[in-house]
Amino acid sequence: MTARPHLLSLIVEITQRCNHACLHCYNVWHGDGYPRGELTTARTLDLLTKALDETDCSHVTLTGGEPLLRLDLPAILDFLIKRRVRVTVISNGRLLDERTAAALLGRGVGLFELPLLADKPQIHDALSGASGAWDAVLAAMANLRAQRGQFIAVFVATRINIERIHETIKLAFAFGARGLMLNRFNPGGRGRDHIAELLPTPAQVRQALEIADSAAGEFSLPISCSIPIQPCLVDTNPYKRLGFGFCAAGGGRAYYTLDPLGNLRPCNHSTTILGNLFEKPFGELIASKQMTAFTRAVPALCRACAHRLECQGGCKAAAQVCYGSLTAEEPFLKDTSRGYRIKRKKDLREGK
Amino acid sequence: MPISRRDFMKLFGMSVASLLLTRCQFPFGVTCYAPALPPEMRTPRGRLRTLWLRFNELAQVTTADYEEGTHLSQQMETDHQANLDELVSGGELSASVADLVQEAYAAALYHVWRSNAPMTCYEPMLVDYAPASAGVLVQQAEALSLAAAQGSIDPETLAKARAAIEHDMAFYALGDADLQSMYDRFITEWQSENHPAPSFEIVELELTPDARAAAQFVVDLLAVK
Repeated sequence: MTARPHLLSLIVEITQRCNHACLHCYNVWHGDGYPRGELTTARTLDLLTKALDETDCSHVTLTGGEPLLRLDLPAILDFLIKRRVRVTVISNGRLLDERTAAALLGRGVGLFELPLLADKPQIHDALSGASGAWDAVLAAMANLRAQRGQFIAVFVATRINIERIHETIKLAFAFGARGLMLNRFNPGGRGRDHIAELLPTPAQVRQALEIADSAAGEFSLPISCSIPIQPCLVDTNPYKRLGFGFCAAGGGRAYYTLDPLGNLRPCNHSTTILGNLFEKPFGELIASKQMTAFTRAVPALCRACAHRLECQGGCKAAAQVCYGSLTAEEPFLKDTSRGYRIKRKKDLREGK
Repeated sequence: MPISRRDFMKLFGMSVASLLLTRCQFPFGVTCYAPALPPEMRTPRGRLRTLWLRFNELAQVTTADYEEGTHLSQQMETDHQANLDELVSGGELSASVADLVQEAYAAALYHVWRSNAPMTCYEPMLVDYAPASAGVLVQQAEALSLAAAQGSIDPETLAKARAAIEHDMAFYALGDADLQSMYDRFITEWQSENHPAPSFEIVELELTPDARAAAQFVVDLLAVK
């Protein structure tokens, strides 16, 4: 009997519906041809049963779309808690009123991830594509905090809001966030149509990291940057208080993603469908040639780089979504590193 | 639902760590000015007990330095195993029970480490036990006041956020006697509603004798006078 694959976490997109229209949204179904729809409650529970039976997984992140739009969310939570799975919910906070927050916390949600894109409502609402989004997410944070719930704030760094980083971290701290994710904008989904207006430059990211590093100390707040930042573009070594992540796909810390129809993907940013869990076992899907190809993909530019094994060129899913190839240079690398690429080619010509 | 003995020990270890990291304190006499090793450090049991009381240190080190926390966690796990081995070789503990105690300790270490290490996307830290410190609450109140002065935050939201901070501050304002009185009141209220304090026996667990012995070993280790 084959051992069940150990997963630190499984991401489950329980719905594609959303009540916001974030400019930076990476949801893969905004692209052409991705399967649309969602399963009934019973089939969703069948899917989760299969996923948990076929893996050794003790943590599930429910996301969407906006997961609170699913009226059967309580039933899904009850099922997961009964299976002794820790649950995180990623939400935009719009529907997290006092009663809903109490109900979800009472059902065992351990952590919420809520966006806080600026300290100014106009900026947050513009990026969220929804008026009132800033008011709603602050109310959600207050509702969770009032009921001893835990949440972390997510700041997606774009050209539009990156200058507000310090004040935004301070606001998240004031509302009781237990941590902050500082994710540079990673184009995909709807975000693919907004690269020019949203993608920050390495210089802007460097400055934001400097400010965030200082704020992490000032507020004793854990801050992590999980969207890869290529060391050739920004040296992250000086920012000792910040955590940095690289693509975990295919490794021991991989976070495979199930879409609302049961299709399994290497991660939530990737459009690669490894297969449908109703049709094949989990272990077979993640051992597929497609998954191997995903894991091994590195842009040609990076093949001689000393950081290639950890950095892998950044987000290959973004490369695939934006430029059609896993080995393409992803937008942050391609669009912002002209100077670096010229130098790198010169170095290679000179045998360095 | 039946639970495996290993899963039980993991949950047990994590629960003990969580209790120790909140307000559940055990007498602990080590001082850095002691001229020699305190008596409890001279025996494997004493050293094991000390290791179970170092979760707070692990939490602090991990928060300050991710790699140092990882190293400390590994060192604590190794030391714990070594002291258990001594007890096993001395005939004081069976190998199967020691194995389960180690399982509980390793799970507790991972829980504390993971809860304090900087999080990465979709591997969020568990933040289920540590209340914000009094200093942090004061700083949060100040930050909230400054944010409120901008005039953008909805008054109802603001009031709720302030009330939550004040609620947490009130907890810190309680002295030990007040806290004990509060806990006593909760227990009395619970029992007055004909809910007796739950005993280990009523928990629906299918425990093997060695898992029960391992859990009891940890309880005895920590509850020693």
